[in-house]
Amino acid sequence: MKAVEARELTKKYRTKTAVDGIDLDINDGELFALLGVNGAGKTTTIRMLSCLSTPTDGRASIYGNDIRNDSTGVKNIIGISPQDTAVADNLTIKENLQLIAGIYGFSKEKAAQRVQEMIDLFGMEEVRNDRAKTLSGGWKRKLSIAMALISEPKLLFLDEPTLGLDVLARRELWTAIEALKGKMTIILTTHYMEEAEALSDRIAIMLGGRIKAIGTLSEIEAISGESGLEASFVKIADMTKKGEL
Amino acid sequence: MDRTISFASRNFKELLRDPLSYIFCLGFPLVMLVIMTLVNSSIPPEAKMTIFRIDNLSGGIAVFGLSFVMLFTCLSVSKDRAGSFLVRLYASPMRSSDFIAGYILPVFLLSMMQLIITFIASVIIGLIVGIQLDILGCLLASLSLIPLSVTMISIGLLFGTLFSEKASPGLCSIVISLASFLGGVWFDVEGIDGVLSTICNILPFFHGTKAARAAIAMEFGDYWTHIGVTAAYALVFTIISILVFRKKMKADLS
Repeated sequence: MKAVEARELTKKYRTKTAVDGIDLDINDGELFALLGVNGAGKTTTIRMLSCLSTPTDGRASIYGNDIRNDSTGVKNIIGISPQDTAVADNLTIKENLQLIAGIYGFSKEKAAQRVQEMIDLFGMEEVRNDRAKTLSGGWKRKLSIAMALISEPKLLFLDEPTLGLDVLARRELWTAIEALKGKMTIILTTHYMEEAEALSDRIAIMLGGRIKAIGTLSEIEAISGESGLEASFVKIADMTKKGEL
Repeated sequence: MDRTISFASRNFKELLRDPLSYIFCLGFPLVMLVIMTLVNSSIPPEAKMTIFRIDNLSGGIAVFGLSFVMLFTCLSVSKDRAGSFLVRLYASPMRSSDFIAGYILPVFLLSMMQLIITFIASVIIGLIVGIQLDILGCLLASLSLIPLSVTMISIGLLFGTLFSEKASPGLCSIVISLASFLGGVWFDVEGIDGVLSTICNILPFFHGTKAARAAIAMEFGDYWTHIGVTAAYALVFTIISILVFRKKMKADLS
């Protein structure tokens, strides 16, 4: 079964079309990157797929659950780490994780086990009792991803996970994301070329609400005729501007 | 139920860890009780002004204190809406009823703590100044203010849902001023006439003060009328705030 299947997915805000009839097929266990500049429609796409926004047109399903008709089914199998660090500031790392485990209805024992697993996975032992508001940006992002993971989602959305982080924190987070590869399906949005290149199995390039190229890095290079993701992206953006794509 | 309790527990912890909760919700009513008791001791007996006497004062201060609970409800909701924390929760299996109950329960608990502390302090102050307050009456006064507490919490939920983190505290301060001025705390509403008296009798604050005073005095002449008015406000504002929250949540997800 496909993790994500979308057909003609569209989102319009009055006169502006944020996402313009995109088709997507994402395989189970794949790390899929949505790459594009700000305003390309990446976050809107994620919002629709995670039932945070209703599509204006088209359809999509997550592991067979329709995003329009079965939002509860979708919400039970996804985890999301939003663009801004979505944590409860006055709670500790442990309490933030316990909160999400409680919301997903875990028993006390299961919640305690999952909290410890998340703390171990992201190496948060030393800061487990620190309140979120006192954490650095890097720790907050790790906590945000851990909160998305604690419910054991089949599909994880990471919306610009390394935005605003310094180079060391970014590399650390890449290592953490790489460790998740294959264990679940991950959809990552980013506008950092090197991030998409380093982490993803397949990449979709979004421009002006449309997917202009999709495939592995070598497939995208073949479409653009350029070498490297950055050069390919620039070429594809240029071809789009000229109406060649 | 698990979802509601988890979310309510988070909100309660956030409240307890905010020093302003102690200052405004617990400290401020106590300070006002002490200050106004000192003012009362400075009023000569021939003035025959008893509004600041502890048996009259405690009910009014309890009503005034509840208006700060409204402010904290409003801040909890508007702060969450301003950040992306709610986005995460919207993408979880939480329903609107989980959100609403999760916001209301902790502040309701806070309001009960505030009322109990206010009346315990009133009993102690009463003993110091030589006025014995009926313990049962004080307990009943705390229960009598539950409808007004629910009204205040609902107004807080409504403002927090409709307005931004910056705008909503300003609007709350208007209600706080109204509760204070028109609640019969600072002047004898029954001693005045005209438009001001009518407004005081239309709004729920004065009825809350009167219900609490009647309970403390264990005199139940108009007690049920005052309870009826505050209960009606509680019902109406609870329904409005729930409907508005649900509508806003639906709009956020459209």
